[in-house]
Amino acid sequence: MKYARRTGYIMALIIFLLVTAGPFIWAFVISVTPDHAMFAPTSDLFPKKIIFDNYAELFSGGQRGNRFFMSMYNSLRATGITLCIGIPIAMLSAYVLSRMEFRGRKVIKNLLLCTMVIPVMATIIPLYRMFAVGDMLDDIFWLSIVYVSSYLPMAVWLISNYFATIPKELEEAAMIDGCGRAASFFRIILPISYPIILSVTLIMFLNTWSQFQIPLILASSMETKPMAIVVSEFMTKDTIQYGLIAAAGMIALIPPALAALIFRKYLISGITKGSVKG
Amino acid sequence: MKKKILPYLLLTPMILIMGVLVFYPIIATFSYSLKKWKLTAPGDIRFIGIKNYQDILQSDSFWYSMQNTIFILLFVVVFTTIVGCLVAAFLKIDVKWSGLLLALAILPWALPPFVNGILWKFVFFSGYGFLNKLLLGIGFISQPIEFLGGRWSLLLVISIVVVWRSVPFMALVCLAGRQSIPGELYEAAKIDGGSGWKIFRHITLPLMLPFVGVGLTSTSVTAINVFDEVVALSGYSDLGKNILMESYLTTFTFLDFGKGSAMTYIVMLFALILGIFYLRSLNKEVEY
Repeated sequence: MKYARRTGYIMALIIFLLVTAGPFIWAFVISVTPDHAMFAPTSDLFPKKIIFDNYAELFSGGQRGNRFFMSMYNSLRATGITLCIGIPIAMLSAYVLSRMEFRGRKVIKNLLLCTMVIPVMATIIPLYRMFAVGDMLDDIFWLSIVYVSSYLPMAVWLISNYFATIPKELEEAAMIDGCGRAASFFRIILPISYPIILSVTLIMFLNTWSQFQIPLILASSMETKPMAIVVSEFMTKDTIQYGLIAAAGMIALIPPALAALIFRKYLISGITKGSVKG
Repeated sequence: MKKKILPYLLLTPMILIMGVLVFYPIIATFSYSLKKWKLTAPGDIRFIGIKNYQDILQSDSFWYSMQNTIFILLFVVVFTTIVGCLVAAFLKIDVKWSGLLLALAILPWALPPFVNGILWKFVFFSGYGFLNKLLLGIGFISQPIEFLGGRWSLLLVISIVVVWRSVPFMALVCLAGRQSIPGELYEAAKIDGGSGWKIFRHITLPLMLPFVGVGLTSTSVTAINVFDEVVALSGYSDLGKNILMESYLTTFTFLDFGKGSAMTYIVMLFALILGIFYLRSLNKEVEY
């Protein structure tokens, strides 16, 4: 019985590893395979010769390489702006919604939650028009603000749920000791909420790094296009260079993969806390 | 007086952003959807009532996309649930490298969906991609299969990729649900002589249902809104398009803003119905 269990576990482990890591490994193999051997009509899984030409092309400062790294830089800039604006607003709103009593609190909270399930396409046409009229198209700042609007419901929800678990007495004690509301927020609430803030920061970073639909419509120049759009252009324009796409994909997934590996504790608690109240 | 204004004052930035960038556009989209409005005929913009909706519901192209959307939805929901629960059970087993496995398990969720699509394109590549090479190698087939060439096989591939990306969330939610059940419940049940199946049926299942519900609805909303993977696997072609792609093509390729808006409203309604369940399960407290 014990033996059967062990074998079962090892089988499950192998299947899990194959299915989870397999696509990454295969994309890496493609990225180091010479073009002519890539889809050669043989059933050999691995190339006879390994080349790093595709990576060299991306790093050597050629036209495609430049476009790719420019797009990574754009994604990074958008992440920066999104976080600088999104996190403070989310924290402030979460604090008000979880700690203050006022008319319409429930309505605002529920309206905010509702927007979580609205698809991007339902808002993008008027946004496109609005941005075209206001000369805001193709501007990384306004693009980031649109990202913020799509993350706020999730962020406010996560943070206010966390604030709700902090005992009110803690603040009340501080206020009796002469702390103002603002001071008690910065000195008491903020220091103990760092886990959730880290979780929200990570989720916002990963989402911004993934953006595709919004910039597809709102960003069109090399100075604003994010990573996913530029990689998709490698695919559809003129000749398709699969090796290059694979190499670009491998590089593009380093930041999110590192974030997921290093901060997995915060990511997991963020995902599960956001999904289930309690 | 000061105290009453303060909360609203502090909420202003959030209300401003959400109002201008989400709520106003949703209403505007609805008003667009009631207009004849093509960018190719800029002089001819007028109110036509529900004609856009009628046209859409009568077009074959819409029903083709609708079928695709429903195929993806059903496949993704069923398989994400099954695989997600299995992965959760697998990850629950305590071994030395549990943490590492967990990190690996959330990787597909953390990656850009477009990159996910690319990774899998190489696996299912119609010529000599990984799967074809493998199947040829073991002598299962003699000619490479065109995975991305036919409608249903393409949809199948899209669904598999979306399942791969949705499983981590489902597994984590199941794991969280399982961990929230107090161990005393199981001990009590064992003392009372409950069998394995009975314990599962009367304790594990009912207490985990709300958690699975959250995963289920969130997965459904994801499945309806698949876009990036479709582009990565088949480009902006008609073969595997879902309603979202149809609405994108109508709006930004054929420049028919009126019809495109009407179509996004249909998608949104679809998502909203599922979303209501999501919100309700989010708001529900889990009681023991």
